[in-house]
Amino acid sequence: MKNKKMTLLMVVFILTFASVLAGCGGNNTKESSNGNTTSGTQSAKPTESGGQTGDKLDPVKLKVYLIGGPQRDLPAVQAEMNKYLTEQINTTVDITMIDWGDYSKRLPVITAAGENYDIAFTSSWAFDYLPNATRGAFMPINDLLEKYGQDIIKELDPRFLTGSQVNGKNYAVPVNKELASQWVWRFNKQYVDKYKMDITKIRTLEDLEPYLKQIKDGEPADITPLAVPKGFKPYIPFDLLLGDEFPVGMNMNSTDGKYVNILESDELKSSLQTIRKYYQAGYLRKDVATLEGIDNIKTGKWFADREQTQPYAELGWSRSAGYDIVTSPMQDPVIFTGSATGSMHAISANSKNPERAMMFLNLLNTDKYLRNLINYGIEGTHYKKISDEVIEDLPAMKDGYQMPGFALGNLFLTYSHAEDPADKWEAFKKFNNSAKVSPSFGFNFNPDPVKTEVASISAIVKEFYPPIMTGAVDPDEHLPKAIAKMKAAGLDKVIAEAQRQFDEWKASK
Amino acid sequence: MLGILKSLMKNRAFLLLVLPGAAWFIIFAYLPMFGTIIAFKDFRIHPGGFFESVFKSDWVGFKNFEFLFSTNDAYIITRNTILYNVGLIILGLVLAVTLAIIMNELLNKRLAKFYQTAMFMPYFLSWVIISYFVFSFLNVEKGVFNQILVFFGADPVSWYSETKFWPYFIIFLGLWKNAGYGSVVYLAAIAGIDRSYYEAAMIDGATKWNQIKFITLPMLRPLMIILTVLALGGIFRSDFGLFYQVPRDSGALYPVTNVIDTFVYRGLTIMGDTGMSTATGLYQSVVGLILVLLANYAVRKIEKDYAVF
Repeated sequence: MKNKKMTLLMVVFILTFASVLAGCGGNNTKESSNGNTTSGTQSAKPTESGGQTGDKLDPVKLKVYLIGGPQRDLPAVQAEMNKYLTEQINTTVDITMIDWGDYSKRLPVITAAGENYDIAFTSSWAFDYLPNATRGAFMPINDLLEKYGQDIIKELDPRFLTGSQVNGKNYAVPVNKELASQWVWRFNKQYVDKYKMDITKIRTLEDLEPYLKQIKDGEPADITPLAVPKGFKPYIPFDLLLGDEFPVGMNMNSTDGKYVNILESDELKSSLQTIRKYYQAGYLRKDVATLEGIDNIKTGKWFADREQTQPYAELGWSRSAGYDIVTSPMQDPVIFTGSATGSMHAISANSKNPERAMMFLNLLNTDKYLRNLINYGIEGTHYKKISDEVIEDLPAMKDGYQMPGFALGNLFLTYSHAEDPADKWEAFKKFNNSAKVSPSFGFNFNPDPVKTEVASISAIVKEFYPPIMTGAVDPDEHLPKAIAKMKAAGLDKVIAEAQRQFDEWKASK
Repeated sequence: MLGILKSLMKNRAFLLLVLPGAAWFIIFAYLPMFGTIIAFKDFRIHPGGFFESVFKSDWVGFKNFEFLFSTNDAYIITRNTILYNVGLIILGLVLAVTLAIIMNELLNKRLAKFYQTAMFMPYFLSWVIISYFVFSFLNVEKGVFNQILVFFGADPVSWYSETKFWPYFIIFLGLWKNAGYGSVVYLAAIAGIDRSYYEAAMIDGATKWNQIKFITLPMLRPLMIILTVLALGGIFRSDFGLFYQVPRDSGALYPVTNVIDTFVYRGLTIMGDTGMSTATGLYQSVVGLILVLLANYAVRKIEKDYAVF
């Protein structure tokens, strides 16, 4: 009896440990077998590329991660896509949507864990392209583009591919869309009309003053004249190294190609005096320095704010706000490295079928049927066609299939709505062509050699930027403090490293 | 071998009881320890999966740790982390024991249950929600505090940029949230004290206060020591939400709200460097481990029976 119990106990022990060990051991074997298959496909490449027509390919399933809220009807649309894709390239896709806020947190984990996904959305603002490309998360795609992505190269503005190169290699397929970025002032038209303002005269922060005063004096206290949250920064003509939360940039009006500390530039200093004056005059909200977001569009109790624009953006803003919004530019459109990497699809370094992934991306960016299917859903269910190029949403679209169009592929292929201007995509192309190219376009800074300093300075920026940039504190007192602290944390070393990399890059061109 | 088997046999019931917990620790605490080597590596992703990435990444020594000590903030974040935690541990202990004793002495048991549940409630609220409660009190324009101040003719205060109030707010909220949870453990311990001690004391004429002082508190002492020693292990970690969400990430408050966890979060979001994050975690754990060992060593010197191990 006693013996039996002991045996049982031993069995339990052994089983537990065995299963634990099997857990990690199993992982290991899977890892290595994956490695084998990768090399297997690679060696099989020549034969596969020989027979490029759909029916000769083996069936393949691609795992795809896209950004955006999960949609109820995605499975149905995906089934429809898979029917078409099987005919074309004998491929099916398995799409997972990850919500906006979670995407940048989950994808790095999925990648670091070594999951064999094939395609993922990446950009300068979510699941950041540059650090992940340098870290080896993505596969270099230049050869694949040559072989299977010829149609993409033909359709895409070539500046997208130049702008998204890291050390001379491309790691993702950019979405063809607006290439330049441009900040504008937005105004609530109601007040523009009421006070008969000529907003075409407004360009700089200083130009705003008389109008803000009019609103402050003439309207009730709950109308915010300049409705901006803590992320606000006065516009200065600098080509920024690591986004607007890092104080290093290159003056766009100069030709010397030197990175400087923007906090020490005269442009910023004078703007900070102006915004401080506005804050003290009560043109901004008193709690602006801690305001994560602002709901001015929803409440309608605002006069001016700022936003990044694209052609006909006012129409979209007015439509979603329910009242008219007009704009006036702060700057001419400019093409930055960051604006070329605003929305892209990368092939994972762990992908087992990179060739097929590229074929799929090729279709997604050039095939009108597929592109509209993933964007608007199934014809007759989610939308109906009014004419060849124009559609009308059906209720099912709003309930179960709202996809972020700009993050899915070549935007110029998508149908437009009746209320859109007919020359919408033409205007986009014109916008891209009219834009000025920034001096560092195509240069991607690799922060690795100074990552300690970058991390420390980023933390300091988060402390000082919101109150200083929104005028909540006196810049004469706090700006020198911020600069001193950043210098102590190695800002000059970062600038020197950026300059070194930039000069090297420039010389290599 | 036979001896081991024999002792396994003898303690089989206990061993079985320990099994689920042990399995949990092995899977979630011991196996992942392998990953700490990432703290000493320049982590790069390699196509062969996670393990290959770890092994093929280059060794960089202690470079990943530099960022924690490279700024003037290093002193501030360490000071804030330790002082807040020491404050919360000591005051939390006093509050939890006091509440447990009060609750135990309440004659109306139904009411006692009600109070207990009410005090337990905040423990289940997330800091994000609490931060909005706090915001409704501290909002500059419409907050309750400022409305009261204005009503009495005083100047409104911009709470989210005045550092002097926040140490109190943070300690208060930290205590408020966790007191109910802490007191439950002590309440259970009090319930386990043999009633005959109290009966004997009462016969000898001990007052309520004497009973608490000479019976309840001494009986709770081992538990207090164990829980405090264990809490010391977490002294380099802090409740992220309390220090990030509740002050609304206000830059002006960083001198009093910046702790190691928030500093790391702010510094690394722009790059998301795996090696540096791992280094921070390892650093916090190692310091925690040293503190636990030291505290236990001290307890053992003073009173051997109360040491945790």
